[in-house]
Amino acid sequence: MSNFTRTWWGETFLATIEQFTDKGRLSRGRSYANGRKVESFEVEGDRVTAHIKGSVNPYYGVYTEPLYVTTLEFEPISQAKWAAVIALMASKVSILSKLLVGEIPDNIEESFETLGLRLLPEKGDFTGHCTCPDWSNPCKHIAGVYYLLAAEIDRDPLKLFELRGLAQEDLLAGLSDTPLGIAFSKELTAEAAPPEPVESLHTRPEFVSVARSVSLNDFWQGEKRLPSTIETPQPTNVPAILIKKQGDYPPFWQRNNSFIEVMEDFYTRVRTKNGNILD
Amino acid sequence: MKILHGSWIPDAHANFVQTGAFYLWVETAQHSPDAPANKETSRSASNKKGFRAPHYLAKADLAAFLTEELGFQGASSKKDVGADIGVRFFELPTAQQQPLPSLELARYLETDLPEAFEWRRWPIDCYRIHRFNSQAKANGTGAGVSAFVAQLKELHFIAQYQLAEVQLGADLLFWHHYAQAFKQVILKDHYIPSLRYRKVKKTFETYPHWEIISEAYEDLIGRYTEYMPLVCTAGFAQQADAAVLAKGKSSKGRPQKEACLHEKESLLRHCSECLLHDVVTGTPLPQSFYKQIEGSLIYSCLKSTHWTTSTELSLYKQWRPWRDRIARTQSAVPFYLCFQLHSPADPDEDWEIIFKVAPKQHPSLRISLADYWQLKPHQQMALKLQLGESFEQDLLLALGDAARIYPPMWAGLETDEPASIFLDVDAAFDFLNEAAWILEDSGCKVIVPGWWTPQGRRRAKLKLKASSRSGDREDASDRSKGEPSKSYFSFETLVDYQYELSIGGEPVSEQEWQQLVEAQTPLVQFRGQWMELDQAKMQEMMDFWRQHRQDNPEVSLLDFMQMTAQQGDDVEVDFSRDRTLLTMMDRLTDTSALVPVQNPKKFEGQLRDYQKRGVSWLSYLEGLGLNGCLADDMGLGKTVQVIARLLQEEELQAEDLKKKEIPEEERMTALPPTLLIAPTSVVGNWHRELQKFAPHLKATVHHGSDRIKDKKAFKALCKRNDLLITSFSLARRDADLIDSIFWHRIVLDEAQNIKNPKAAQTKAILKLSARHRLALTGTPIENRLLDLWSIFNFLNPGYLGKESQFRKNFELPIQRNNDRQQSVVLKKLVEPFILRRVKTDESIIKDLPSKVEQKLYCNLTKEQASLYEATVRDVEKQLATADGIQRKGLILATLMKLKQICNHPAQFLQDGSDFTTERSHKLSRLSDMVSEAIADGDSLLVFTQFKEIGDSLEKYLHQTFHYNTYYLHGGTSRKKRDQMMAEFQDPETDPSIFILSLKAGGVGITLTKANHVFHFDRWWNPAVEDQATDRAFRIGQKKNVFVHKFVSVGTLEERIDQMIEDKKKLAGAIVGADESWLTELDNDAFKRLIALNKSAIMD
Repeated sequence: MSNFTRTWWGETFLATIEQFTDKGRLSRGRSYANGRKVESFEVEGDRVTAHIKGSVNPYYGVYTEPLYVTTLEFEPISQAKWAAVIALMASKVSILSKLLVGEIPDNIEESFETLGLRLLPEKGDFTGHCTCPDWSNPCKHIAGVYYLLAAEIDRDPLKLFELRGLAQEDLLAGLSDTPLGIAFSKELTAEAAPPEPVESLHTRPEFVSVARSVSLNDFWQGEKRLPSTIETPQPTNVPAILIKKQGDYPPFWQRNNSFIEVMEDFYTRVRTKNGNILD
Repeated sequence: MKILHGSWIPDAHANFVQTGAFYLWVETAQHSPDAPANKETSRSASNKKGFRAPHYLAKADLAAFLTEELGFQGASSKKDVGADIGVRFFELPTAQQQPLPSLELARYLETDLPEAFEWRRWPIDCYRIHRFNSQAKANGTGAGVSAFVAQLKELHFIAQYQLAEVQLGADLLFWHHYAQAFKQVILKDHYIPSLRYRKVKKTFETYPHWEIISEAYEDLIGRYTEYMPLVCTAGFAQQADAAVLAKGKSSKGRPQKEACLHEKESLLRHCSECLLHDVVTGTPLPQSFYKQIEGSLIYSCLKSTHWTTSTELSLYKQWRPWRDRIARTQSAVPFYLCFQLHSPADPDEDWEIIFKVAPKQHPSLRISLADYWQLKPHQQMALKLQLGESFEQDLLLALGDAARIYPPMWAGLETDEPASIFLDVDAAFDFLNEAAWILEDSGCKVIVPGWWTPQGRRRAKLKLKASSRSGDREDASDRSKGEPSKSYFSFETLVDYQYELSIGGEPVSEQEWQQLVEAQTPLVQFRGQWMELDQAKMQEMMDFWRQHRQDNPEVSLLDFMQMTAQQGDDVEVDFSRDRTLLTMMDRLTDTSALVPVQNPKKFEGQLRDYQKRGVSWLSYLEGLGLNGCLADDMGLGKTVQVIARLLQEEELQAEDLKKKEIPEEERMTALPPTLLIAPTSVVGNWHRELQKFAPHLKATVHHGSDRIKDKKAFKALCKRNDLLITSFSLARRDADLIDSIFWHRIVLDEAQNIKNPKAAQTKAILKLSARHRLALTGTPIENRLLDLWSIFNFLNPGYLGKESQFRKNFELPIQRNNDRQQSVVLKKLVEPFILRRVKTDESIIKDLPSKVEQKLYCNLTKEQASLYEATVRDVEKQLATADGIQRKGLILATLMKLKQICNHPAQFLQDGSDFTTERSHKLSRLSDMVSEAIADGDSLLVFTQFKEIGDSLEKYLHQTFHYNTYYLHGGTSRKKRDQMMAEFQDPETDPSIFILSLKAGGVGITLTKANHVFHFDRWWNPAVEDQATDRAFRIGQKKNVFVHKFVSVGTLEERIDQMIEDKKKLAGAIVGADESWLTELDNDAFKRLIALNKSAIMD
């Protein structure tokens, strides 16, 4: 298990490189990805470029701290084939619904397979290059970049489509003639609402002027009588319904454990451990 | 009496994080002796003509009151409540430099409130309700402010059951209601972790927070702002608020024309958010849980020791769209998404959930998606008129949402035209049990098969088959007549029972049951129909059945009824084998099935239909050896039903003996006597009613200093009489004497008098032995559980368990925790034994004339009698010498004096002596009946011809019981009169008492909210009384009106009443409009008129 991914597609993505890279380089790669050695990391289309600080190593004749350029290039799927893929995706509500909340459907490869394709890259679907003196490919820098890329895809699965040669505009354009595709485009292109500044954490109690003409009855008793019985709400049977609608691992949840499970546990505790108030 | 007030008060500063707390304050009429400052004001207040100013408990008194009277404990250390007391400021209506009392207190003080007032902020010592919470403290968050929720519940309980001399102000009551209703947000998980974004100069900060997202909550806020009294918004943490000061309108202690209060909705939201925050962050959570959320937003929301501010906007940007999508509700789209589950005919086939949509405007018009996709484009277009233009987009998004809540749905979304999914039986069961609820909760509609609905559901149950042991079943035809006879259950009826396994009401063999228990799935097809199984429960039931199938138990009828009422859901009681038992249980549970009795031949009057059913119920119950409680509403005639029962019993007895061909002379027709115990104030009434309706019944009143005290003589007395009437107090004092007889029946009138099980009176009555017992009460006893227990302890001892068991099993769970299950069990237990008809029942209204008149006969107390006698003696002497005008004057003055004595000695003596019930049975009876009517939610009118009595009555009813009273007399201004009338009639006003002088209240007034009219003293002309009565009985009156006329037994009141009745009979001859016609009587006639019948005195 790595700390870089928590989704099935992130795992699968990583598994590819882990298959043919030795343990030492993988573990060095992980520490590169974790540490402060990565100067820059940029994904553009199907190409990833990173600048990574190397280490001084007299054995290799490296006496000043070097800066290596590491690139990863992915094999794009042709535009024609993408058109077919998009048509297929648009015909399945499940796929777009999941992509919409940032999930790749776990059966997506079945759809790709029917066209003789695959979405998640395997050995041969990408090439790495690095300016470091290591003769092995992938080297630890390539591995590091790969880890970073996996983490990126984990959070934003649409990146995966870009890596495989499908720009987001093309995806949206391709989807624009099906109802769900339209809905999907709308959601994706919706402008993030600007932050809503508030004046106080809790609703601020306001003041009002009440004219003298208010009656003593309104003041002491209220305009409408309270119901004769007191409401007694019952606890829910199923916890956390509200947050379940938005799927697990919401964007702000950086942890690897399930957000929904945590919230279920949490809500249940709040409901059951406050007997003095809630009984 | 202390009035408890309280409010949520926000903290003084208006910082970004502004919390608040709940503060309690106490208003009282009494001034503390050691508060000199207040003495000053009180003197000045009482000197002025006007209202009486309230007093607020100051720190030391408040602390003492809270700890000693209400059992409060300090939040941080047990003893120190005082540490949480401090000054808060309340914007209150003010006049004459004094705060006005609250309406609750004003009512209690009987003080008139000025119409004009201004506003001023008053400092009041308040107790801050909070609790020490180590968790919250460790989290550095909430200060335990949510403690008020539980505290208010406790105070409400104390006030409701009068455990202390306190009353909740409407403000406190409001907050209690709101806090209980608000719990739904927490109980339904309707809140999410959240971030608040704050601009700080050129940069910004974000704050973790808990946000409520719930349509139900918005609805709650909307409703409760309407309920909220303004006083709830009048509490402030400081003398003047910054906002007000900024406007340059300092209110520093100076009276203002306008009040500056909190705005209701924002205050309610502020309180709610602080409350939620406190509860959530105060929840004890283990370290292992914190590990699960380390570094996340949840962690910040829960545990920030200081409000963390972040300069990074990314977290907010990630969180915000998520929050917005959660907040986006289903209400935005014009259709409902529906899921219909189909169970297969063949159990080996799959189940199907069919996707449907229904326009919100026509929810019954459900269109299955399978059909929709088949439609031609123009047909789809037509539907979109109702489903919305972007229907397909909305639909597919909604399906995606649904699938996220219920993942098996994904299988149906592998297409662009989703229509349904298929499930296996286990998945179907999960859907029914869980997913259906979640989907419903998130705005979808779920349609389940008929066999799953509560009506259609078949359950595995143990059937308890019961049959009567003694009933000889052959003569069932005899029983169907509905006449009680001996072929019914006898006194010692035994019931046999055995258990049987059953499903959906049909018997099931052990083998079949075993197969079901071993079934692999929770849903099975059994005998061709689907049903749900709970194998663990069925296993338990089978074990129970195996244990009990060998025994063949028998129990008494009473034990049997107790057993069946307390059976849980797993047991179904079945009497179908035994018609006797079946009819019996039917009649006990459904009183409308009772056949009304015939009007007893010797009954001098005509029973109404419901009264005939009542008598039938009484005789039926007694025939079974069971004892019941007749709890009809006041005015429906419990007394006549009891009298009719006595007569009917006598008739049956006679018939029975006739059948047996016992020669008349040898028949012992007389049954042993019935003992009737009633409050002193109604003993006389019983006697008179008996004379009126059953003059041949021999009844005697056991009372007075010359009552029989010797056992032998007492036995002889009892033998001579059918009925012996005595009072509760004598039942205690003469316990030995009374206990020496085995009574045929004991009737307790106003049975709530034995509600205190520890009282000597109660103990004495419980010891008495009798064949039958009957309790009468007009108060709704089912709401006062301990009263209920006491009455049942008299009727059927042990049936509701011992007092402590009852308290534990029923009283506490029901009254404190609103336990519905126990309240259903209790209802099942007591229902067969209580007959309660209320005057608003459709069938009763039909049966009653719109105006029901009855006389209330009261005896004189010893004091009244001696005053009366002295006056009469005095008059007799003077009468001999008086003449002409003088004689006329003497007669009128005498009539006046005697009537005053009949009302109350204090009225006659005019010495300012105590106006208490001990001195007048009339007053005692009135106050009992008034409290019964008020408890029923009725309003009433009390007429008197004397201003002194009007004054005293108002004061008495108001100060002793704190009822809402109005008083109209000759001196009332027209304006005030109209105002009182309007207030009395206002449906929002509490049930009230309107006291009117006969003359002032006679004309031009409509008080149709009242449905009881009392005539405390009598006017000699029925037309005047009738006209007064008509205040309530007017156009617009939708209820039956009950008219109660008091008559003092053995006095001139009774004789005049008789004369009026006789004259009425004599073709309604008109008596004079006033009393002057009485002066025409000759001396002897007048003496006879006013003479006192001594046998009518009661201690």
